[in-house]
Amino acid sequence: MIAEQIVNGVVLGSMYALVALGFTLVFGVLDKLNFALSELFMLGGFVVIASVGLGAPLWLAGILVLVVCGLLGLVVEFVSFRKFTSADAQVTAALSSLAVGLIMIDLVQKTWGGEPVSVPVPIEWRRANVAFFGMQIQVMKIVILAVTLVLMGVLHWLISRTAMGRNIRAVAESPTFATLLGIDVKRVNQQTFFIASALAGAGGLMFSLRNGIASSDIGFTFGLKALAIMAIGGMGDLRGAVLGGILVGVIESLAIQFGFGKLGEIIVWALMILVLLARPGGLFGAAHTTEQRA
Amino acid sequence: MSEPQLVVTDLHVAYGPIKALRGVTLHANEGQTVAVLGANGSGKTTLLRAISNMLARSQGSVRINGADTAGVPAHRLVREGLLHVPEGRGTIGRLSVRENLRLAYDLRPTRQSFEAALELVFARFPRMSERLGQLAGSLSGGEQQMLTLARAIVNRPRLLLVDEPSLGLSPVMVDEAFAVLREFQTSGMTILIVEQNVRKTLSFAHEGYILRQGQIVASGSGAELLRDPAILSHYLGAS
Ligand SMILES: Nc1ncnc2c1ncn2[C@@H]1O[C@H](COP(=O)(O)OP(=O)(O)OP(=O)(O)O)[C@@H](O)[C@H]1O
Ligand SMILES: [Mg+2]
Repeated sequence: MIAEQIVNGVVLGSMYALVALGFTLVFGVLDKLNFALSELFMLGGFVVIASVGLGAPLWLAGILVLVVCGLLGLVVEFVSFRKFTSADAQVTAALSSLAVGLIMIDLVQKTWGGEPVSVPVPIEWRRANVAFFGMQIQVMKIVILAVTLVLMGVLHWLISRTAMGRNIRAVAESPTFATLLGIDVKRVNQQTFFIASALAGAGGLMFSLRNGIASSDIGFTFGLKALAIMAIGGMGDLRGAVLGGILVGVIESLAIQFGFGKLGEIIVWALMILVLLARPGGLFGAAHTTEQRA
Repeated sequence: MSEPQLVVTDLHVAYGPIKALRGVTLHANEGQTVAVLGANGSGKTTLLRAISNMLARSQGSVRINGADTAGVPAHRLVREGLLHVPEGRGTIGRLSVRENLRLAYDLRPTRQSFEAALELVFARFPRMSERLGQLAGSLSGGEQQMLTLARAIVNRPRLLLVDEPSLGLSPVMVDEAFAVLREFQTSGMTILIVEQNVRKTLSFAHEGYILRQGQIVASGSGAELLRDPAILSHYLGAS
C-alpha cells in the first residue's frame, strides 16, 4: 500500500533528518563538515547494545546514547576542529574527522566483530501493531516517530528560545562579532558538537531499533545521504534538514514500493544534483553570508 | 594607586610580515574621551583590535584597570567591562533587534532588569521600540548604528572602544551619534574613539593622538590639536 510506504518513508526520513541536523548544525556554526557524525550514527546502536548488556533498561540505554555520543562529539571537536580555525583549514578538519570516524569503526569491529549484532529489543515491541486509518503500523515505528519529534521540538526550543541558542546563532553568523559581545566561541563550538553528535547518535538508536540490528558498516552510506539531504535542504538550515530528510525518506520508500529497489538510492543522488543545479543554496537555504571582521 | 584606566605601552602588532603598529604608547584616564586620528591604513582599527585582544601583540603591553590583559580571552575582557564597537557596526543581522540587545545585556547584567534597560533605550531612540521584533540585518544603516549605540546603553561598559561611528551616516545621523557619545561621556564612561571626522571628534575629545604608519606622531588636548593646522593638514590631510 502506498500510504504504508509513505509512513515507512517518514520513519526512515526522520532518521536521515536527525543526522542531517547534526551536519547542518556544525556546518552552520563552523562552516566545516564533521564526517565523524556518520560513525557516531553507527555507534548509536552499539551504545544501546553495550548499555543493555550492562543491565540498563531500554529507556536508560536511549539516554546513554545521547550522552555517550555527545561526549564523543566533544572529543571530535577537540581532536579535529579546535586547532583548525582558519577558513582555509576546512579540508584539514574534514579529513581529520573522517579519520576519527574510521577509528570508531575499527574499535567497534575489534569489540563486536564485523558482522551485524542484534539489538535486544523486546520481541513484542517489534510485533505489536496498531490500526491507523485502516493501516497496520508497528508500535516501534510510532515510538521512533514520537521520540524523533520530541528531539526536534527540544532542538527548536533550544535554538530559538534559550540563551545558548542565541549564542549559537550569533557565532554561526560571525564568530568575531560574537566574541566582541562577550560570547565564548570555544564553548559555543563545544555545545554545538555535543548537540549534533547526540542527534546523530539518536538517529543510530532509532535505526537499530527499527532494524533490530547494529552494524559497523552502515555509517558511511547513511552519512553521505544525510550530507546530500543537508545540501538539498540548504547548508546550515535546520528546517531544510528536517524537510529534506523526510522528502528523501519518502522518495526512497516509494521507489521500493514501485519496484525500483536499489535504484531508490540513485534517485537520492540525482535529486541532489538537480536541486543544486536549480537552487545552489538548497531548497530552503538562504544565500551564505560572509564573515565580517572587526 | 591611580593608574589610568587604559595604559598602552610600546605596542607592536604585525599581520605576518606587515608591521601595522610599531610602538604605540597612549593612555586614557577614567571618564576621559580619547581620540585616535589617522589616515586610512595608519593602524587605527588594528590598535582597537589589539586592545580588545582580538589580535595578538608581538611586543608591548596593554593594561586595563591596572591589570595586564596579555593572555586574557577577548570575550572575558568584554565581561569585565570593555565594549569594542567594530568598524561596520558589529550587529548580528540574523538575530532580532531584541536579541541583539539581549546579548549585550546578558554579557554584563546590571542590577536593573532587561525591561528597564530597554526603557532606557526607548527614551533615547523611540524608533527602537517599533523595531524590536525585526531582524537587525533588515535595519537601515542609520538604524543599525542606533542599535550599536543602544547596545552600549544596555551594556554600560566602563571602557568603550568605538571605530568610526560616523562612517556611512547622513549628517543628521552623525550629529545624533555624537550626541549619544556625549551623553556617555557625561555619564563618566571612558571612551577611546577612532574617527576620520577630525573636527567633530577633537572638539569633543579630551585628548587626541595622531597615528601615522603605526606610530604616534603627535598628541595633545583636543583643543590644542585643533588649533594646530600644521599637524592637521600634514598628518591627516584635513582641510
Ligand atoms: N587582516 C589583515 N591582514 C594583513 N594586513 C592587514 C590586515 N588588516 C589590516 N592590515 C594592514 O594593516 C595596516 C593598518 O590597517 P588598519 O585597518 O588598522 O588601518 P585603519 O587606520 O583602521 O584604516 P581605515 O581608516 O581605512 O579604517 C594597513 O596597512 C593594512 O593594510
Ligand atoms: Mg579602520
